[in-house]
Amino acid sequence: MTHATTALLEVKNLRTSFRHESGLEFSPVDGVSFSVHAGRTLGIVGESGCGKSVTSLSIMGLLPKGQGRISAGSVVFEGRDLATLSPQDMRQLRGDRMAMIFQEPMTSLNPAFTIGNQLIEGIRAHRHISAKEARSRAIEMLRRVRIPSPEQRIDEYPHKLSGGMRQRVMIAMALSCEPKLLIADEPTTALDVTIQAQVLDLMRTLREETGTAIILITHDLGVIAELADDVVVMYSGQVVERASVQRLFAVPQHPYTIGLLGSIPKLHQTQGRLNAIEGQVPTPMTQVTGCRFAPRCPFAIERCQLEAPKLMDVGEGHEAACWLAPLEPIV
Amino acid sequence: MSALLKVDHLVKHFPVRQGLFSRAKVVVHAVDDVNFELNAGDTMALVGESGCGKSTLGRLLLRLLDATSGQVWFEGQDLMTMSPAQLRAARRNVQMIFQDPYSSLNPRMTVEQTLIEPLVLHGLAAGRHRQRAIELLDLVGLPAQYLQRYPHEFSGGQRQRIGIARALAVEPKLIVCDEAVSALDVSIQAQVINLLQDLQQRLNLAYVFIAHDLAVVKHIASHVAVMYLGQIVEYADKHTLFATPRHPYTQALLSAIPLPVPGLRRQRVLLQGDVPSPSNPPSGCRFRTRCPLAQERCAQEMPPLTWLNGHAVACHFWETSQATVTTLTTEVVNERLLRLQQAFSGSVSVQPVQQAQA
Repeated sequence: MTHATTALLEVKNLRTSFRHESGLEFSPVDGVSFSVHAGRTLGIVGESGCGKSVTSLSIMGLLPKGQGRISAGSVVFEGRDLATLSPQDMRQLRGDRMAMIFQEPMTSLNPAFTIGNQLIEGIRAHRHISAKEARSRAIEMLRRVRIPSPEQRIDEYPHKLSGGMRQRVMIAMALSCEPKLLIADEPTTALDVTIQAQVLDLMRTLREETGTAIILITHDLGVIAELADDVVVMYSGQVVERASVQRLFAVPQHPYTIGLLGSIPKLHQTQGRLNAIEGQVPTPMTQVTGCRFAPRCPFAIERCQLEAPKLMDVGEGHEAACWLAPLEPIV
Repeated sequence: MSALLKVDHLVKHFPVRQGLFSRAKVVVHAVDDVNFELNAGDTMALVGESGCGKSTLGRLLLRLLDATSGQVWFEGQDLMTMSPAQLRAARRNVQMIFQDPYSSLNPRMTVEQTLIEPLVLHGLAAGRHRQRAIELLDLVGLPAQYLQRYPHEFSGGQRQRIGIARALAVEPKLIVCDEAVSALDVSIQAQVINLLQDLQQRLNLAYVFIAHDLAVVKHIASHVAVMYLGQIVEYADKHTLFATPRHPYTQALLSAIPLPVPGLRRQRVLLQGDVPSPSNPPSGCRFRTRCPLAQERCAQEMPPLTWLNGHAVACHFWETSQATVTTLTTEVVNERLLRLQQAFSGSVSVQPVQQAQA
């Protein structure tokens, strides 16, 4: 975000609304803005219900039809406003210029087709090449994601593969048309740590090889620290802090980020009692006038209850949505 | 002091039929010759990746599953040979908390019914059930007006608190926590971890804490057993295990965890491949197919769990493996962050600040 060049993806004041059975409309994403530059990795971190997955589905145009819609703001990708694109154009874009990998590789692969079928289908949907060429390209992709003996593996069904292997296949699929933007939604959450380490290592290598920009969505601050260049922290459908990864961990400014960092047990230092954040995340149905974090915030003042803070620059491209930021005077 | 819980050569094999008509049976070696002891008031953590048998072991400790062979001694009595009536009485002392607070509570029972059921079963707190239920809610930090509510009205963290209250109802001495905080968001997870630690101190509870998250384990456990394919490969007190892990698997596990420290370049032991199937474990040392130190001997001989000063390791080369220990960096403590974080626990009072500039 400190780059002056035009962004690859620009999300501006995005609001995504869903209609509840009762007819009430609510917005799990409410006024989110961020940008992703070519070759950079943006981490989006937050807990369940903070709106990070809905944000990614909104960008990809994958909101459940008839239930969710973008009700305000814009998503501009490579200079084009995605809201103006026809479903056909959007389909052309997805899987080609922008691709996505999901948390659960078992449910994202079709169990009735071989992985080769699924890879080739994706490639031929976007590239006019023969089936044979597509197959050799698919094998090449499997090799690049370090799947052993890809010539044989390509004809296997997803159930034959372990969780880590399936996630590699998903990554191979996503990267098969060399997308400019890859959205990875909790890509390693379902994996064991030793497998997670393999997949993170792979993502890092592929990023260097291809220069793909990545939006990495996760709840794991360790994964963020490993992979992200810039970080957006979300709480209850809004961005509460935005900074480079170094600044976010060194001088976090939003009380929620500070609480989150205090909540994780740390492997690399000894600590006494965890400094947990009391209370719980408000549901998206709750109407809040002031700051949404105020009820759980130990620093909250009167103004926090009355007026919602906007993201404000605290220096060096670091922004926080808190009336008290920078928090230095409190310390 | 004699141990509260002693596990002796515990084995659990699951026979699995291959296909509908095939008579050939495959045996899944879920738990294979596990031994350990746990004292009252201590926390023993069982860690390992999916399929290592840690959850099966947890269920064996309450005899929710019958063992293939071996014993589980609780206060000197073997759970595995007890009659059903004896077992019911013994379970008053051993309780369990499950991973998924959504499926482990009965959706048709109010909190009060959920909490009173174990009291009735064990004939406890006769005549003052409601009062006891209120006490239990108070113990886990929930208000008394929740008594008449149903599980669906609660968040994940609150449900886990109710699960804990139910386990505490019979005043157990040991609680088996099977991934009890894994499904919770970090801020809620921290609340529940704090609660479990407070309760342990107040009630002198012992925990068997089954988890895959080593950072959580380091925080809560006094002793740690690392499992791989049904066997304990390393056992030590927490400080020893995290400071000087000796088994190559433990070392790889520790180095694989992403730390919340940006720009940290660690020497990483990256394991190749996946965990082999427990129905057909490798010969000799089960870890050898992924082990960076493996040699011919590992394929032939299964390394026994060897003890040295309370530290046990099952590796032929553990004496030489020390060289590859990757010490976790102890980074500079961020004083500012620490002070700000302490405000969340109330241990530091926050200065009333003047209205900040807009």
